[in-house]
Amino acid sequence: MDALTLSSSVNISKPFHFLTLSKKQQRERHPRTQFGVSCRGRKELGGGVEDNLYKVLSLSPKSATTDDIKKAYRSMALRYHPDVCQDCSKKEESTRMFVQLNAAYQTLSNPRLRAEYDCELGLRSEKIGVGDETWRYIWQNQLAELKRRSHIRMAQNQGSWGSRIRPQNIN
Amino acid sequence: MVEPAYTVTSDSETTGEEKSSTFPEIAIGIDIGTSQCSVAVWNGSQVELLKNTRNQKIMKSYVTFKDNIPSGGVSSQLSHEDEMLSGATIFNMKRLIGRVDTDPVVHACKNLPFLVQTLDIGVRPFIAALVNNMWRSTTPEEVLAIFLVELRAMAEAQLKRRIRNVVLTVPVSFSRFQLTRIERACAMAGLHVLRLMPEPTAVALLYGQQQQQTSHENMGSGTEKIALIFSMGAGYCDVAVTATAGGVSQIKALAGSTIGGEDLLQNMMHHLLPNSENLFKNHGVKEIKQMGLLRVATQDAIRQLSSQTIVQVDVDLGDGLKICKAVNREEFEEVNRKVFEKCESLIIQCLQDAKVEVEEVNDVIIVGGCSYIPRVKNLVTNVCKGKELYKGMNPLEAAVCGAAVEGAIASGVNDPFGNLDLLTIQATPLAIGIRADGNKFVPVIPRDTTMPARKELVFTTTHDNQTEALILVYEGEGEKAEENHLLGYFKIMGIPAAPKGVPEINVCMDIDAANVLRVLAGVVMPGSRQPAIPVMEVRMPTVDDGHGWCAEALNRTYGATLDLVTLQKKA
Repeated sequence: MDALTLSSSVNISKPFHFLTLSKKQQRERHPRTQFGVSCRGRKELGGGVEDNLYKVLSLSPKSATTDDIKKAYRSMALRYHPDVCQDCSKKEESTRMFVQLNAAYQTLSNPRLRAEYDCELGLRSEKIGVGDETWRYIWQNQLAELKRRSHIRMAQNQGSWGSRIRPQNIN
Repeated sequence: MVEPAYTVTSDSETTGEEKSSTFPEIAIGIDIGTSQCSVAVWNGSQVELLKNTRNQKIMKSYVTFKDNIPSGGVSSQLSHEDEMLSGATIFNMKRLIGRVDTDPVVHACKNLPFLVQTLDIGVRPFIAALVNNMWRSTTPEEVLAIFLVELRAMAEAQLKRRIRNVVLTVPVSFSRFQLTRIERACAMAGLHVLRLMPEPTAVALLYGQQQQQTSHENMGSGTEKIALIFSMGAGYCDVAVTATAGGVSQIKALAGSTIGGEDLLQNMMHHLLPNSENLFKNHGVKEIKQMGLLRVATQDAIRQLSSQTIVQVDVDLGDGLKICKAVNREEFEEVNRKVFEKCESLIIQCLQDAKVEVEEVNDVIIVGGCSYIPRVKNLVTNVCKGKELYKGMNPLEAAVCGAAVEGAIASGVNDPFGNLDLLTIQATPLAIGIRADGNKFVPVIPRDTTMPARKELVFTTTHDNQTEALILVYEGEGEKAEENHLLGYFKIMGIPAAPKGVPEINVCMDIDAANVLRVLAGVVMPGSRQPAIPVMEVRMPTVDDGHGWCAEALNRTYGATLDLVTLQKKA
């Protein structure tokens, strides 16, 4: 029963309301709720942080506001931070999940990084302005990186591809 | 008094969780300041400060070696303040611990009555106390251990149970090497360190608890509050910016420096007696007495200047040396202008690192002994655009109360009223990285990274057919490697021979919730999924002493033959 309820949370439109209930249940029936939390944790781990950062924070990609992200981060932190982990055997897993939670929060709490991530997810494709700005930013970064590598190569006396090929052609 | 029994335990004593325990033992919080200390514990419903046999909650941080048997400020009572400055008493131990003799902080301690000698070559300073006309050597760790034994005895007597687990507050600017020295002193005293908490982080936890209680009473929804926490004691100045809501405190930025009340005092002593350093250089019995008299008089003057604008200094040092001078507050502030400017720049830097505007700060909290100095209050208020200071915390007790709360939380205590439904998400005070790209310091874990943390960076070889790489791990903020603290080193061997730039050397750094740092390094060849050699995992710091010499020796022996450069990996 708990597992079913918890697993269906992904589809609930108001995750925070559910989280509140979950917290109350956790107080009343500690052992079973803990089992439920573990089940959910495993499911999320299976998904992986790369697949969807919003799922790590139990958020809906389209409707999440900045405040929603902050609240979700705090709720999840209170659950997964190793300092509040009661079961010592789960401390390592708890730490790993907290690190993932931080990575998700770092990306989603930064407007630029979030917009970039949303483009990768294929979301908000209708907002051309945001996409345009993001891709310009990405393109400029890539260009700067190419220049940096070129300078490193020149500094190492390798020169350009052309300058390496020309002696071979002479031979 | 019986000689306090402390044991020298193995260096393998570790910070972190106990393996198993039959019952939860609540960790106590200890705040050993440079000049004062206190102990607190969660008593089931609130934090309680423990008292010694003289009913004191706040005790002096010193150990006296007179009568051959060392005793600390916890149980021992000096007959008068001058006795602390007789040369037989070691204080400022927190300022000396884990430092080498080229450190300016160590040099500043040479003006103290006990003996501090330096050879200026990067080794430990020589420290001794004057006992029966003989200089008896000791170390800051030993002095701290003796002091901790007394604290532990006091706590055990009061709580009527064995004390083993502790949470200690530490300055933000402490390096990992200094933290290991603190842990070692605790181990010598039979104490296990559960957490070492930066002082403003402990204050943030207490603030979070207060906000939580206010929220409960007002049935609030837990609005986010930004707090600026400024802590200045006798030895250190620390700043933190935190975001708190719903019992969760996020440390957004930390900044720390080795300036404090001791610097204010030394500057004033020099102002009152300009030639004092030369006069006291010999450390003879007469000079020590003179030094002590000057110190007491100057301390009194500074204390009085907190409540009045002018004070008369009258002291007879003997040998026809007299000081008779009226000192006003402006004079004191001018003599210490650089110290106050440094404090101000710390606050500004911390706000910038946190990406927080002054207008966004909800509460400004000042703690520490120097918070009573008008100029300190003014400079914090000025930076914060005149915002009123937070009331509701005792400046001398806030850090130890926060440490006690953390001790309860880390010990797994569950409070039915929700007073411990708290979490402090800590941040790294300093960057950690390796030497690469020539002689640069390349951070893998940047400053103010949320803990626990796990980050990795990919590097590659600098020479064709290079089969080994030397990993030098540093901590600090300098751009060149040697400007930082060397934490440790190890060598990666068995890199497959290939043209330079081809092997991918992954360096991962992992900090757990107990602030234990592990460095992992692995080698992957392009196109291959399997690591080329077994991954190495090294717990840091491994350099125990003389890290300056160690870095020099490594550089002299290996030069650039085993260097790495950063490889920017595009996924």
